[in-house]
Amino acid sequence: MSLPILPWLVLSIGLLATILISVVRVGTKRPAQIFALLTLLATFFYSVTTVPSGVENVFNGAFEVSALTQVGLALFSLIGCIFVLGTSRYLTKEGIHISDYYHLMLLMILGAAVMIGSKDLISIFIALEVMSLPAYTLAGFRRHDARSNEAGIKYFVMGGAIGAVFLLGAAFIFGATGSVSIDKIFEWSKVAQGDFTLFYIGHLLVLIAFLFKVAAVPFHFWKPDVYEGSPIAVTGMMATVISAASFIVISRLIGIVDFGRIEWGAYAAQLKQVVRVIVVMSLVVGSAVLLTQSNLKRMLAYSSISHTGYLLLGILSSISHPQEIFSVWMYLFGYCLMTSGLFVLLSQSEPKADMGVELIDLTGLMKRSPYTTCLWIVFLFSMAGIPFTVGFFSKYFVFLSSVSAGETAFVVIAAVCAVVSAYAYIRPVALMVMRDADPSASNWKGSPVSTVVATVSALAVIYFGVLPGTIVQFLKGVPIGH
Amino acid sequence: MLNFENTMTLANESLNVFMVVPLALCILSFLIPKGLQRAYAIAGAIFFFALSCYEVSQGLGGQTLPWLSQFGIQLGFRLDSVSKWFVVLTGLVTFIAVYLKGNWYRKSPRIFVASSFFMAFALNAAFLSTNLITFYIAYEAVFVPIIFMVGIWGTQTKAASVFKFFLMSFLGSIMMLVSMFYLIYLYQSQTGQYSAQIFDLVQVSKSIAPERLCLAFFGFFLAFAIKVPLVPFHGWVRDAYVNAPMPATIYMSGILSKLGVFGFIRFVLPIFWDQAIQYHGILVTVAAISVLYAALLAIQSKNPRELLSYSSISHLGFVMLGIFSLTSGGVGAAVLLSVAHTLASVVLFMLLHFMSERKEDLTLDRFHGLAPRFPMLFVAFFIAVLASVSLPGTVNFVGEFLVLSFSYPVSALCTVLSSIGVILGTVYMFKFYQYLGFGSPNPKTGAESVAKDIGVFEISILIFMLGLIIYLGFQPAVILRGFSS
Repeated sequence: MSLPILPWLVLSIGLLATILISVVRVGTKRPAQIFALLTLLATFFYSVTTVPSGVENVFNGAFEVSALTQVGLALFSLIGCIFVLGTSRYLTKEGIHISDYYHLMLLMILGAAVMIGSKDLISIFIALEVMSLPAYTLAGFRRHDARSNEAGIKYFVMGGAIGAVFLLGAAFIFGATGSVSIDKIFEWSKVAQGDFTLFYIGHLLVLIAFLFKVAAVPFHFWKPDVYEGSPIAVTGMMATVISAASFIVISRLIGIVDFGRIEWGAYAAQLKQVVRVIVVMSLVVGSAVLLTQSNLKRMLAYSSISHTGYLLLGILSSISHPQEIFSVWMYLFGYCLMTSGLFVLLSQSEPKADMGVELIDLTGLMKRSPYTTCLWIVFLFSMAGIPFTVGFFSKYFVFLSSVSAGETAFVVIAAVCAVVSAYAYIRPVALMVMRDADPSASNWKGSPVSTVVATVSALAVIYFGVLPGTIVQFLKGVPIGH
Repeated sequence: MLNFENTMTLANESLNVFMVVPLALCILSFLIPKGLQRAYAIAGAIFFFALSCYEVSQGLGGQTLPWLSQFGIQLGFRLDSVSKWFVVLTGLVTFIAVYLKGNWYRKSPRIFVASSFFMAFALNAAFLSTNLITFYIAYEAVFVPIIFMVGIWGTQTKAASVFKFFLMSFLGSIMMLVSMFYLIYLYQSQTGQYSAQIFDLVQVSKSIAPERLCLAFFGFFLAFAIKVPLVPFHGWVRDAYVNAPMPATIYMSGILSKLGVFGFIRFVLPIFWDQAIQYHGILVTVAAISVLYAALLAIQSKNPRELLSYSSISHLGFVMLGIFSLTSGGVGAAVLLSVAHTLASVVLFMLLHFMSERKEDLTLDRFHGLAPRFPMLFVAFFIAVLASVSLPGTVNFVGEFLVLSFSYPVSALCTVLSSIGVILGTVYMFKFYQYLGFGSPNPKTGAESVAKDIGVFEISILIFMLGLIIYLGFQPAVILRGFSS
């Protein structure tokens, strides 16, 4: 019996089992952790072994199973594994190592995994909420810390409001097209005549909701505070799983109308203009403010804003050249890989509460733990886009695609921003390598497991930086389905 | 159009030794105990240098290996009559850099040795690449060892100088990358396939309206002009050369600057031939200004390293003048002068290092009177100074003479201005020699009187290097043979 949604079922059943098992506590062992890990591994296994050749629609076309969703789910469960393994000691240290953490995390991954397959505005909204609600809770998980509470409340209020914006946009689209199914809207766009103003407004509103999720400027104000306040493991999940899922949905929503048709030409031009403005603002604000940050988590928040800029550049070129979408997939792949590794390293900071991990705490790390420093350098170089790391080829394909799509001027801007942000990423390297250890700097000591996880990520970053051929070839064959 | 030689009939296909050997030496260095690092590095570098010479003597060659062929990124390498000299120089400079003693062999020597061999690997990959993207990757990879070297063993203000160097170079090279994308895109829009091979892109650039390539030309120009450096883009040089540890300075002056020169010859001239003709006046003027302005800066320098770094810029201005004469002979003269400059500046920096090992403070505002105490060192120093001021009989003379004679028909004014640079060169170089060698030493600083003159091994290296300078001065045809005039 072939069951296309098997990986999602595995994840859901594992999630339910984890919730049930989380009431049991055997000594200091945490069965929830092991269950979560097993669930993620099983999901990963089933999603990579059941990649369909085409697109299979299930639930009357409200959900699709395709190479894209399968790869996305595999990536999310892999990131989940990285964080479950890599941040276990961190959670213990912070006193938040409780079983609820694991099933909330699984719920978040499930929401993201359902969202990338949804082909119906209603199911996208439900999945969005399934993904976001656990994220709000997890952001405020360090209950005794005011900043964590702030992060939770801020994220919740803003996220709730933006959910309403999405619903409003969906209502407008429904009013204009008479359907909430993406496939039906696409069919409508091929034949529709007349005034599309209602649709334009609705389309922009639903896009804004997801631009908020990925914190494109000017919808980025929540991000630094939420990143800073949330536990590192949660911030890492937000930076990777939620961003990646949101970008996949953005590319699906961008392609909701048939831009090949002459009637949509004017709208395509205007939409591009909007995206261009957002790209430039995200790049400039992300990389310029990145320079001024001294707190590592805020730094990563602005770093992810600038990465959003590059990703949107790829999306921009895919509006007129849909085949260039693979550059976005490649960027997301590289970005998730290096970001999750970096957050695992960040969670290894020893004595301070994770709030205060400042740049200065990295001073002289080369002397104290050369091995960890090498891992840091790999990830930071990858962020900066230095060759022989996956970050180089991520930027490479986005720039190449955008030049092909005729956006050369924006590639130049992006390139200048890459130089500026490279300075910000090399600065920690300089602190680690060039300075002598400062006695006030904190210690970095990870559990052996988290070091192994970070090492594997670093090796993957280098492997895909040297031999990206197979993954690019594969991602090139992953179109956005209709 | 420049036509060096027919590259289709090249037989030598074992080019990967130029990359594999230094990379293997780099990785092996982590297994060698700290005490043996210097011996290992010297032995490895001599082996590598000898191997490079042997491979180059086997004839020119080319090979292409697949990497990301579907995106036009092959590992294409070619050894031609330009790149073979730079490859040999890489081996030589690597040997000198690891030979010098200093705090890099006391504090984390493994990283130093590994960085040196990684540098040799990246440089060779850049000098041999025929593919723009692999060239770019190698060109960027050169940063990494420089950052480590300056960062770990540099002087107090090293962080600022590393950042200046890194940011300026990175800005240039990323503009070059964007220009490369544009060329690749043009090729793709014409043929439907991706290619970053230089031969393919030259075809594209010929078939396209010259105005469309202007911005791409300036992208490449900026990258290489910063790397060389030419005068408006020289801001990073002084700090980087002065604050870097001596091996890094030797790398930067001796061979990294040649990466820019090489980029102009290998990439800018063939692809942007029309643009080079169009902006010819600007290019020649920039080169002439580099010669003069850097010479003036060198005259007022009080720090010997600063003086040598400005003198480097001035001499590289001559090299660029030769290239911008846009004749095959001028390019040949530029290659000859590049080799000459590498030999002379490496010897000068090496001698300066020997001097600073013997005396801490070498500020050029008073006489140090070192010549009577270290006669052998100063004999070598004198010959190197003569080479640097292009005395007839040294290869530098032949190079500068040829460059000026090729650039005269192109721009008489710029040639005359640059000739003044030769005279200014004698002013600062002799001042340099005079302050360090002559006069009565300050009696207060007598502590270093126990220091000895240079030893036999140092002397034999110097004889080898200076002998090369003089040999090539009489036999420049060895290098010029590949360039028909």
